[in-house]
Amino acid sequence: MIRQGDRLLAFLLRNATAFLFVAAFIAFGVQAPAFLEPANLLNILLQSSSAAITATGMTFVLLAGGIDLSVGSIMFVSAALAGKVVLGGGSLALVIPIVLAVGIACGAINALFTTRLRIQPFIATLAALYMWRGLGLWITRTRAMNLPESLLQVGTARPLGIPAPVFIFCAVLASAHLVLARTPVGRQIYAIGNDREAADKAGIASGRVIAIVYMLSGLCAALGGLVSVAQLGAVSPTFGNQREFAAIAAAVLGGTSLFGGRGRVFPGTVLGAVLIQTVENGLVIINANPYVYPLIMSAIIFVAVFTDSARHARLSRLSRRYIRPWQAAAHRVETANSGEEGKQ
Amino acid sequence: MNEDMLLEYEDIEKSFFGVRVLSKVSFALRKGHILGLVGENGAGKSTLVNILGGVISSDAGHIRFQGREYTAASPADAFRQGIGFIHQELNLFTNLDVAENIFIAGFPVRRIACIPWIDARAMRARAEELLGSVGLAIPCDTLVERLSQGERQLVEIAKALRLSARLIILDEPTTSLTARESERLFTLMKELQGRGISMIFISHNLGDVFRLCDDIVVLRDGLVVDAGPVERFSENRVISLMVGRSLDHYYPPRATVPDEEVLLEVSGLSHPGIVEDISLTLRRGEVLGVSGLMGAGRSELARILFGLDPYTRGEISVKGLRMPSGPSRAAIRSGMAFLTENRREEGLLMEASVADNIALVCLPSFTRTPAGLVDSASLKRQVSGAASRLRIRSSSLDRQKVRTLSGGNQQKVVLAKWLLSGPSVFILDEPTRGIDVGAKHEIYKIINDLAGRGAGVLLISSEIEELMGMCDRILVMSAGEITACVERPEYDRERILRFALGRKPV
Amino acid sequence: MNPQVEMNRWKRLVVSDYWVLYLSIACFLVLFPFTPRLASIENIRNIFSNMLPLLVVAIGETIVLITGGIDLSVTSVIGLSSVIGASIMSSDQGLLAGNPAAAAAGVAGMILAGVFVGWLNGIAVTRLRMPPFIATLTSMMFFGGLAVWLTQSRPIYDLPARFIELGQGAWLWLPNSLAVAGVTAVFAHVLLSRSLLGRWIYAVGTNPRTSLISGVPVNRVVTFAYAASGGCAAVASVLYTARLETGSPVLGQRILLDVIGATVIGGTSLFGGKGNALWTVFGVSFICLIDNSLNMLGLSYFVVTMVKGGIILFAALVDAARSRILAG
Repeated sequence: MIRQGDRLLAFLLRNATAFLFVAAFIAFGVQAPAFLEPANLLNILLQSSSAAITATGMTFVLLAGGIDLSVGSIMFVSAALAGKVVLGGGSLALVIPIVLAVGIACGAINALFTTRLRIQPFIATLAALYMWRGLGLWITRTRAMNLPESLLQVGTARPLGIPAPVFIFCAVLASAHLVLARTPVGRQIYAIGNDREAADKAGIASGRVIAIVYMLSGLCAALGGLVSVAQLGAVSPTFGNQREFAAIAAAVLGGTSLFGGRGRVFPGTVLGAVLIQTVENGLVIINANPYVYPLIMSAIIFVAVFTDSARHARLSRLSRRYIRPWQAAAHRVETANSGEEGKQ
Repeated sequence: MNEDMLLEYEDIEKSFFGVRVLSKVSFALRKGHILGLVGENGAGKSTLVNILGGVISSDAGHIRFQGREYTAASPADAFRQGIGFIHQELNLFTNLDVAENIFIAGFPVRRIACIPWIDARAMRARAEELLGSVGLAIPCDTLVERLSQGERQLVEIAKALRLSARLIILDEPTTSLTARESERLFTLMKELQGRGISMIFISHNLGDVFRLCDDIVVLRDGLVVDAGPVERFSENRVISLMVGRSLDHYYPPRATVPDEEVLLEVSGLSHPGIVEDISLTLRRGEVLGVSGLMGAGRSELARILFGLDPYTRGEISVKGLRMPSGPSRAAIRSGMAFLTENRREEGLLMEASVADNIALVCLPSFTRTPAGLVDSASLKRQVSGAASRLRIRSSSLDRQKVRTLSGGNQQKVVLAKWLLSGPSVFILDEPTRGIDVGAKHEIYKIINDLAGRGAGVLLISSEIEELMGMCDRILVMSAGEITACVERPEYDRERILRFALGRKPV
Repeated sequence: MNPQVEMNRWKRLVVSDYWVLYLSIACFLVLFPFTPRLASIENIRNIFSNMLPLLVVAIGETIVLITGGIDLSVTSVIGLSSVIGASIMSSDQGLLAGNPAAAAAGVAGMILAGVFVGWLNGIAVTRLRMPPFIATLTSMMFFGGLAVWLTQSRPIYDLPARFIELGQGAWLWLPNSLAVAGVTAVFAHVLLSRSLLGRWIYAVGTNPRTSLISGVPVNRVVTFAYAASGGCAAVASVLYTARLETGSPVLGQRILLDVIGATVIGGTSLFGGKGNALWTVFGVSFICLIDNSLNMLGLSYFVVTMVKGGIILFAALVDAARSRILAG
């Protein structure tokens, strides 16, 4: 028997992100009306492009049941390399493929460690986090790099009247969504995240699919780094620090489960990324103490992860076998229908 | 080789951890026939079909499928060769829809700009065709999560038909189905048969087997005791073949009789979907057997009694004290011990030493506080005392890892562990599973000894003969209820099996 | 099956208890020709003094790893602890400024803070069923941010002399920091190898299901492990803070890499159920040796960071290989 209180709680938890959005808008809008101006809202969108791109890559990895903690360092090392190339006289047309290639390469190495060498993803990508950051620091000699105009174009250009970062972010989003929803590999990613053993039994080439998701994550990290660097104009030694956190937070807030098999890029992850940026932007506009930011961020992540864990625990309980299915059937239908959010 | 034969098993053998599970199994299956595979728990039915399904490989013998030598390197391989396997545990992805599940390893694709895109229209069309052929009238974009067990099973069959399987194995398909869903399945099976597809049907429901099957193979202890057209058999005959007149195991005689004092009393215990209205009493010095088929709810009952799972109605009392209803450790404190049916996952610390395993439950009594030091000298004495009392064969209690012991010795380690906590109620779930004859005998002696010293033993076993040899009374469970209580004078293998086979409501 | 698995020489080496010690000696011998100063007394003393606080944190981490979890929040605990302690003790604006009991109260406050954060981690992992790495990662972010916010990123000075003695002073010939680290290590060793709780910790890490059925209070044991880790981080914070003579929220920011690397390369398994204090001592000395010698070779901080990352990877590989070899 589902009590009314349980139903309400389930509803609140399921739509936590939407509620947080509304709460943020009200809280910031009331304290600083400037927050609600269209120019500011566009600004939020612009600022969240980089994070949304990296979070999209992270979503792929999480869907397959893995994790990528090296995303921030990949951003850094690819941006560092890009900066070096541009400062050395390379053209934009040369830089962009290099950046993407570096991202894919880093991702491929992550994949190698988790699939071939069977090291747990969190430790393998944690080690990679340090390795790539070290490499990046070596490339930049720990000094900040100021980037020339040519690279900044990526930040300021307006193809079709839309700011380039937003354009790129939409392109990435659309491609990711299509891959996940309409290609065999995409659906297999969901299958692997749901039940790796069953996936292997069904004949899915799990190793190959997992390699692809890590490479996509690396690619998105590099692309996100490029977009961010183009807006900042410089690569500092702490660039990309803790960005994996923001990416994970955006994905989980958007409904992607840390346990795999559940989540969507659109609207899910995008909403998560924009929400985080909204909160950050709002805090700046109301002149909040900058030191409050990590506190709020981690509180948000905590809520998101807690919701995910609670839902996962509940689903595991519901899916166990019944000795007397006819008795359990009514019970199960009631609880199952109350919870789930439909097609992934 | 006979042209009509779709499948032939020749002298197939298989052993696990040194225990023989299949011995020289041979039989044949015609095209378009349904074969019923029956036998008690542990007879080897699942192993037999798992070899066919590519889950495990045989140690010896040949299989011929469609006239050719057959081996399968993996389940996917078996599927590609035309064998569909509907496991008891369904292999569906709950987060995907029906059509995607069916095509997960082979989507119809269209290449646009060098990228393979799922041809949704073709997929939908073919999925609807397959769903129609199994009689499932649901939209093919329904999430598997929302389907009932019966519907999911039909999806699995549709999946098997995707590559035009010639042979479909159904392993206990009706255990989680309602009667109506079972009927639907049987209608489908007859229809598939009409299309020339052969099936192997494993079931405990002899009524269903006789209804559906053309041939029957009866397995007992890994051997084919009889096989042939269903007309040659009757339900009685099959039951006695299943149960057999094997070498009468010598069960050690008991020196004592049960006392009057009640150690464990259960009344009206229920939990929706798991057990219904369970009542029993266990006396001092009594060995109470619990018989039933797999899926009858015996282990689930044991878990509830021990406090690992909750219950909604009823009462459990140990020595007169009422036990609380949630998951709790009160059971151990009040003197219960639980030897689980899977010693490797829940009974032992495989990577730890024998001594560490034996000490695990009684540790708290060797120290005053948790942070306090363990009196290792006296602990060691107790541990080696228990080990020698149970005759555990180990080269070094401290250094040898439990993983390297034989099955029988491993089980003795678990028993020793519980013995040291001095319990009054022992719940033993399949204590002699996967153990050789010699070790089994030793364990029987230990059980007798326990009862002799005044403990009460709840013995759960799938071997009816074992229960008859060891127990004062036998409870029979079926579908979460107790269907019978059989006293010693009325012990009869076939009778007990009949109670275990039970009947299900609509 | 044989009780002793047949192993060739290499396999036996990898599985041995002392393999990291051998590795350290090997590294030392390899690097010595390039940097003779490596063996100087002063350098050895230097390595040692870096080792001690790291050892304390690593011991706490070892306990958590044995239960099959991981604690990524230790660096933030060090910072938070430092800040809380300094806020109590500082003669400048501390709560107990000038009070003779300030040092003692400060230390008590620090340890309490560490244990409390650890306890929260434990609750998140056991009751709320959050995956350990994300639960402690979130903790790290939150409490690190909290420490910075409390101090507005300004370090706190003027710590009482008695406190500074703890980290820098000595009693007779024994440096206090060595005493603290030594006591922690011995205490952990005794706890893990001789006490009931220690045995429970290993059991839970080896197989939580079996442990639960056998009466082990799994949730409480795991929560204890995280609380112990927080407590150890706080003790290390005492040493670091005393050494720096400052309460700083970013203290310990850089050592996560070293802590994880040291415990894993020492032989504590990421899969749980295996590890001990001695191995961690060897692991910590190895990491500090590498750190020190690479620095002496003139390699920059980033290269050292990369190498350490590579070491963690290597250690994880060896860990996986060891599990495979022992499984037969």
